Amino acid sequence: MSGIHIDDVSRVFGDFTALEQVQLQVREGEFFSLLGPSGCGKTTLLNMIAGFLDPTTGRIMIGERDVTDLPPYRRGLGIVFQDYALFPHLTVFQNVAYGLKVRKLSKSEVKRRVDEALALVQLSSMAERRPHQLSGGQRQRVAIARALAIEPSVLLLDEPLSNLDAKLRKDMQTELKTIQRRTGITTILVTHDQEEALSLSDRIGILGHGRLQQVGTPLEVYRQPANRFVADFIGQVNLFRTEGVPFERVERYGRYYADDYETEAGTSLILETAAAPSETTGTFMLRPERIRIGDGGSTGINQVNAVIRHVSYAGDQVRLLVTLAGKGELIAVAPDPVFPVLPQAGDSVQLYWDAADVIPLPTEGV
Amino acid sequence: MTDSNKRLPNGSDPKPKSGRRRVRRKWSLLTTLVWTAGIGVYLFLVAPMFVIFLSAFSPTEYPTFPPSSVSFRWFTALFTNSDWGEALRVSLILLLIVTPLTVILGTAAAYALGRLKFRGREAIRSFMLSPLMIPQVVLGIALLYEFTSLGLINTLTSLVIGHMVIAFPFVVRTVSVSVSSLDPKLESASMSLGAGRWTTFRKITLPLIKPGIIAGTVFSVVESFGEVSISLFVSSPGNITVPVRIFNYIDQTFDPSVNAISVLFIAVAVVAMIIIDRAVGLTKVL
Amino acid sequence: MARTSVVKRTNSFYWLLLTPSLLFLTAFLVVPFIMLIVLSFREVDSLLNVLPTYSLSHYTEVFTSGIYLNTIQSSLGVALLTTVICTLLAYPAAYLLVRTERPALRTLFYILLISPLLTSVVIRTFAWIVILAQNGLLNELLMNLHLIDKPLSMLWSMNAVVIAYVQVMLPFAVLPIATSMGEIQPKLRQASMSLGAGRVRTFFTVTLPLTLPGMLSGAAIVFSLAAGSYITPLLVGGRLQPLLPLAIYQQAVQVFNMPFAAALSVTLLIMVILVVLLLGWISKRWEARLRD
Repeated sequence: MSGIHIDDVSRVFGDFTALEQVQLQVREGEFFSLLGPSGCGKTTLLNMIAGFLDPTTGRIMIGERDVTDLPPYRRGLGIVFQDYALFPHLTVFQNVAYGLKVRKLSKSEVKRRVDEALALVQLSSMAERRPHQLSGGQRQRVAIARALAIEPSVLLLDEPLSNLDAKLRKDMQTELKTIQRRTGITTILVTHDQEEALSLSDRIGILGHGRLQQVGTPLEVYRQPANRFVADFIGQVNLFRTEGVPFERVERYGRYYADDYETEAGTSLILETAAAPSETTGTFMLRPERIRIGDGGSTGINQVNAVIRHVSYAGDQVRLLVTLAGKGELIAVAPDPVFPVLPQAGDSVQLYWDAADVIPLPTEGV
Repeated sequence: MTDSNKRLPNGSDPKPKSGRRRVRRKWSLLTTLVWTAGIGVYLFLVAPMFVIFLSAFSPTEYPTFPPSSVSFRWFTALFTNSDWGEALRVSLILLLIVTPLTVILGTAAAYALGRLKFRGREAIRSFMLSPLMIPQVVLGIALLYEFTSLGLINTLTSLVIGHMVIAFPFVVRTVSVSVSSLDPKLESASMSLGAGRWTTFRKITLPLIKPGIIAGTVFSVVESFGEVSISLFVSSPGNITVPVRIFNYIDQTFDPSVNAISVLFIAVAVVAMIIIDRAVGLTKVL
Repeated sequence: MARTSVVKRTNSFYWLLLTPSLLFLTAFLVVPFIMLIVLSFREVDSLLNVLPTYSLSHYTEVFTSGIYLNTIQSSLGVALLTTVICTLLAYPAAYLLVRTERPALRTLFYILLISPLLTSVVIRTFAWIVILAQNGLLNELLMNLHLIDKPLSMLWSMNAVVIAYVQVMLPFAVLPIATSMGEIQPKLRQASMSLGAGRVRTFFTVTLPLTLPGMLSGAAIVFSLAAGSYITPLLVGGRLQPLLPLAIYQQAVQVFNMPFAAALSVTLLIMVILVVLLLGWISKRWEARLRD
């Protein structure tokens, strides 16, 4: 069991910088997710941790050991690949035993550990099957058992659930988390699925444009995104641009003009934020689920009259795309029973929100 | 979604600033060994071609390495010997007859095999490809016996048939590759738009499997032009093809004008490769 | 019902396209082989005229005479040796073809690989004579380098036959191995290495088993070509090498004992078919483990 220290790692392919000066510390026993859109460099980073790719600069430490120059077969990591990468010519048992035989363990020891690993993923009865005789979920569990059987110091999961259908994916998420808790193994999950990352991880590292944009707990990255990229990538978001200078201060509140949004009176939307105003903040975010339906007290602050452009009903919630009377669009999400009857496109609606939900985003970064 | 900002991070300097760039040991001993062995194998493959070139322009009967001087005497010998002209004539006539017949037969067969679904289809496919694997000496002797019985021996027909049997599987194989990558839905779409079966075949199928047909044609030409195992059995003194003439020259007298004619075959191979590359890409053939 | 008739009509169109080829191959592949088999049982008189009577006499001679048993044995040996050498050499060649990252280099490898297939066998064989002859290129080179004092006798031997065979047939072994190597997901090798297996071990436990079908289909082609060619052994080995194709050629073209040549041919054909079927069976069994 050991943590991972990624020290100033960069990777350049020709003229293209896939990853730029990543500094990251994954703690011992932690479930850590690397989250980002495709092409963000997360696979590059994973391949470098695994040893399939050399970093252009920087060092990678596993525990106290500098593994930067070690080939993959000397790193002692367990890897679960996206499409499982089970050896098609070997049985489930032989697949799981593969890494143990390489380590020249005695036959009885191999058998004991394979049985143990298969029991962990509840596949003991499938030992003599071949990969093609298994369902997607079962293959996935064999892949996990194979990676865990060698008792690795770190478990790397490369988009392990992306090939499963939605329901199975939920089940496997729970199972992954259970296995990780039970074994206490340091785990790095690479994924582009924010929900997966949010629900499974102790901490998340968000990668974008070859850089580590933010590292934090799921709560932190969702509620306090470090920059626009993170805000935009995780969940849906309404973004307001302001001049960055509050026109009014009320106690601890700052009031701004959101220049992109115009009310029916032809004036800019007035935004009130609970955050301490600063001269540099130019952008604020507002999560759609924080917007409420109603008149909000007719203060003219943090509230708008709008026309519904589009309604989509998802069962547990209703999503509205609305246009302000002057200009600007907002997305609002309301839990299902809010509307007795579903609103229609073209209906008028009043929206309001709390000053505490208007979150300033730092201007630096992207 | 509100407006998203997908600019590259501070677009100015794409290179990492940190100066500590490692020079990695990319070449392990193992990699070096494998590459050495592999390159050795490729050199071994190409050595004979290289030697042919050396011989063709060598002033001596046996070439020397490194070559002492360049000479065209074997080419002169080639043109002054009427035997070669006659052999070339026979070979070309054969090509003109064998190629279209084989390509039409093979294309029709490969297309039908790609579309028909029945038990035993793979057996028929193997049967059609079998001339590739059948010992040539056995095929030669079997055809010799049959043609003798039919009274076809010593005719050009026997050579035509022999060459067709040899070239046919090559056409079937290359066209099959094109057919298998052709989506049958395209033909269904064409027919649903009112085109008949023949119109569909001409306007949709044929253009889409053309690369395979071109490659098949090239292989058919090359196989027919270089064929010797069957020809040797079924050809007569009046119908001697170039490869048979070469065989006789090597077998009986060592005539260095073979050196010069060999260059012709290499030229044919080069042209064939260029056409195949243009049509289907060298990496996709076979 | 209307639907079935459309399908039927479509199918009859395809059968119409297939029929000419089937007829052609029946007439010039099936019929001659049947005739050959029948001929192999015909008796001959002392002047080698074919008699209307049938017997097993030719086969008896093939399988009892020491000369022909020896010929069968050495034919089998040469074909197997060629197959083994081709397969061994094919792996590094296929590896380079699949692994090289430069498109230009890959194209070059393909050119080197395909060019022998596009050159007549007489030409390639002729080149080997030029290389291996007493006053040939290789002897010349070795003498110039003072590695030998007098020319080695390399031509007119079984070794020369095997060398020429290997060069002629190598592409048939490389291409299918390269194809199956290219189909292996890189992730499988990565998985193997992440589990602690080095590159050599990964080759033997992952790459080799998964390229087995390609290797076997290449081996089948190489074996049948090596067992059945007579041009190459005739020119670089000489007429007297104990090889079945040479014996058949001699019986047919020089001795004019067609029934005996036919019996030898049938023997060779059965030998090749048995080996090819065996390799195909192994390959099928193996692939059945990998797929449904």
